[in-house]
Amino acid sequence: MVGLNGTLSIATEALGAQTAGLEVANNNIANANTPGYSRQVVSLSSAASVQNGGSVDEGVSYDGFTSIRDSVLSLAINGATSNQGSLTAQNALLTQITAAFSGTATGVGASLSTLFSDLSALGTDPSDPSARQTVLQDANQLLSDFHQGASALSSVTSAANRQVAASVSEINGLTRQIADLNSQLASSAGDGQDGGSLEDQRNALTTQLAQLIGVSNTQTEGSPTLTTANGSPLVIGGTSYPLQVTTGSDGNTHVQDAEGNDITNALAGGTLGGVISVRDSTLPSLSVQLNSLASQFATAMNSAQASGVDLNGNVGSAMFSLPAAGSAAAGISVALTNGSELAISSDASTNSSGNLQAFLSVQSNPLASGATPTDEYAILVGNIGSAGSKVSNELSATTTSLQQLTTQQASESGVSIDEETANLIRYQQAYAAAARVISTVNNLYTTLMGISLGGG
Amino acid sequence: MRVDPNISAILNIGIQNTQQALNRSVEQLASGQRVALPSDDPAAAAADLASLASSASVDSYTRNGNAVLSQVHMADSALSSVISELNQAVSLGTQGADGTMNSADRASIATQVQSILSEVVSQANTTFNGVSLFAGTAGVTEAFVADSSSATGYTYQGNDGVNSAMIGSNLQVNVNVPGDQIFTNSNGNVLRSLQQLVSALNSGAANDIGAAVAAVSTAITNVSQQRVIYAGTVKQIDGQESYLSQETISLTAQQQSLMGIDMATAVTNMTQAQIAHSAVLAAAAKVLPTSLLDYLN
Repeated sequence: MVGLNGTLSIATEALGAQTAGLEVANNNIANANTPGYSRQVVSLSSAASVQNGGSVDEGVSYDGFTSIRDSVLSLAINGATSNQGSLTAQNALLTQITAAFSGTATGVGASLSTLFSDLSALGTDPSDPSARQTVLQDANQLLSDFHQGASALSSVTSAANRQVAASVSEINGLTRQIADLNSQLASSAGDGQDGGSLEDQRNALTTQLAQLIGVSNTQTEGSPTLTTANGSPLVIGGTSYPLQVTTGSDGNTHVQDAEGNDITNALAGGTLGGVISVRDSTLPSLSVQLNSLASQFATAMNSAQASGVDLNGNVGSAMFSLPAAGSAAAGISVALTNGSELAISSDASTNSSGNLQAFLSVQSNPLASGATPTDEYAILVGNIGSAGSKVSNELSATTTSLQQLTTQQASESGVSIDEETANLIRYQQAYAAAARVISTVNNLYTTLMGISLGGG
Repeated sequence: MRVDPNISAILNIGIQNTQQALNRSVEQLASGQRVALPSDDPAAAAADLASLASSASVDSYTRNGNAVLSQVHMADSALSSVISELNQAVSLGTQGADGTMNSADRASIATQVQSILSEVVSQANTTFNGVSLFAGTAGVTEAFVADSSSATGYTYQGNDGVNSAMIGSNLQVNVNVPGDQIFTNSNGNVLRSLQQLVSALNSGAANDIGAAVAAVSTAITNVSQQRVIYAGTVKQIDGQESYLSQETISLTAQQQSLMGIDMATAVTNMTQAQIAHSAVLAAAAKVLPTSLLDYLN
């Protein structure tokens, strides 16, 4: 038989346990909108029953609280976040390029057409000085379009370099915070114990980090370890390993790990990975195409010039001059200063348009690369468009899958106000019931006291 | 299974998605373009550039054709007056060959033929934009200049060059006929025959006059033959013009179908996007305020 004192202590324990339940529900409601917060549930267990001379002493035991989270799901979310971060960064940079090459009434394509139209008009009136001057103006317009294309590409490169530096400093800030949290967690919670909201904070920071750079999450000798995709350490336990930026020999911003190794090409995922992939792989291939179009076109036009005679009776001199080194599209210039220098004549006669066909065939004949100049430019624009559309399609797919993962995580760890309201009522009623037990025991004591008083 | 308690996040995503679809459909309707950036449809954007280049070429063929026509018409009308003047010279020569004429009459006819000769020379020196039309490609202002040492009294300053203009991707037409082919051709020399007629009329020998008249007639035949070349050019350009205008129409249609919207589809898309958007907003308005707390007192 349990004595009144035993009953009273069970009821007191119950009051404590229900209060803990109310506190946890309260904390959940308070953090309902805190990013990264995982809902907590109170851990209660039936107290160990102890055989005590035939009497059974039972009650409730409060074992603290647990955060409800799925670490495997968190890893999947970090992976998808890295992917999304990378694609978002690529999409932003590629949109800038696509916009620069979207013109159909302006740009290299339109200028090529205008130049050849005005050249072919010289067929009927080859000595007309104003028609010749128009051709020179068209050539100048074309080269300014080449310059603009080249500068659009190079300005995206410098934007990418700035972004690399900014991302690295953000990454270093995050790894420092994560290392701090690791030390706090190591000192506050024992091995295998739940870290509660500190761990939530660390997970939220890790997801932020994953947005910036692809990370892999492992344990090294019991310490949580974050490394880059290629294995360079970012955080080991309570120590963070800051990344560094330097300017490489190519003029671009490179990333080094804490030991000074260049890991630029090994980085994948996250804003940093995405920016580097556009800067180091997409942009150079587009630049190569634009430069090869500019230099092949200039060479073809120059050889057309060389096969004719200008109005002054001289063999045509080069129409375009190309830079000795560096980007052809950025450095191309018009070498002729006067329309009379256009070598339209096939003999020395001034009104001859016998060499015009040599110029016009540059438009219709394939360049050394296998396509006509106009087609070559159309291919370039098509490639720019494909790169952009590929990234934006992947981005929307990744965003959808990340949303699904987030919904899944929220269904596991998210705070439901309705649920917590119901819990409040549940704990409140249990509390009231336990309090009633205490008041009943109190009455019983009073009765007992009355008997003894009456008897004495 | 527990469900995601955060309905507002799900609704936010839905609202954003439907809003984006609505914006895009409105943007397409407003601009009339399906492809605003090359990334919207890379293949269409590339094909559109090629098609625009073809359009520009077609435009330039049309312009070239018109430019050739204005030169050719000018040359043709010059040759037409040359022929009528030569015919007049033939009839004057025939009059002069009549035995009843006295030398004074013949001298007056000779003066008339002489003035025909200078008329013809001035036609042969017709210029277009300051450049002689009948001097080949020499780019001089006068194709024929007076030269007393020459048998015809004139020297040809031009050359045999013929310019051609592109009026189709593989079609060129000749812009000019060199003046020596027309006016000093060995198969019918206009200038020499007129000169001959003047001398014959002045000398009064009936045989010589007859021979000179025959030479002028041969010259007429030659000029008519050369004129046919111009007529051929005109015919070619006329034929090409109707082909080119057809080509412009089909290229424009191609560009429209590559880049433009189909009005019916675009309007349907917009209506659908609008319905979807209102549905999400209505759902949000219904669901968001619901809470267990509303039902507890």
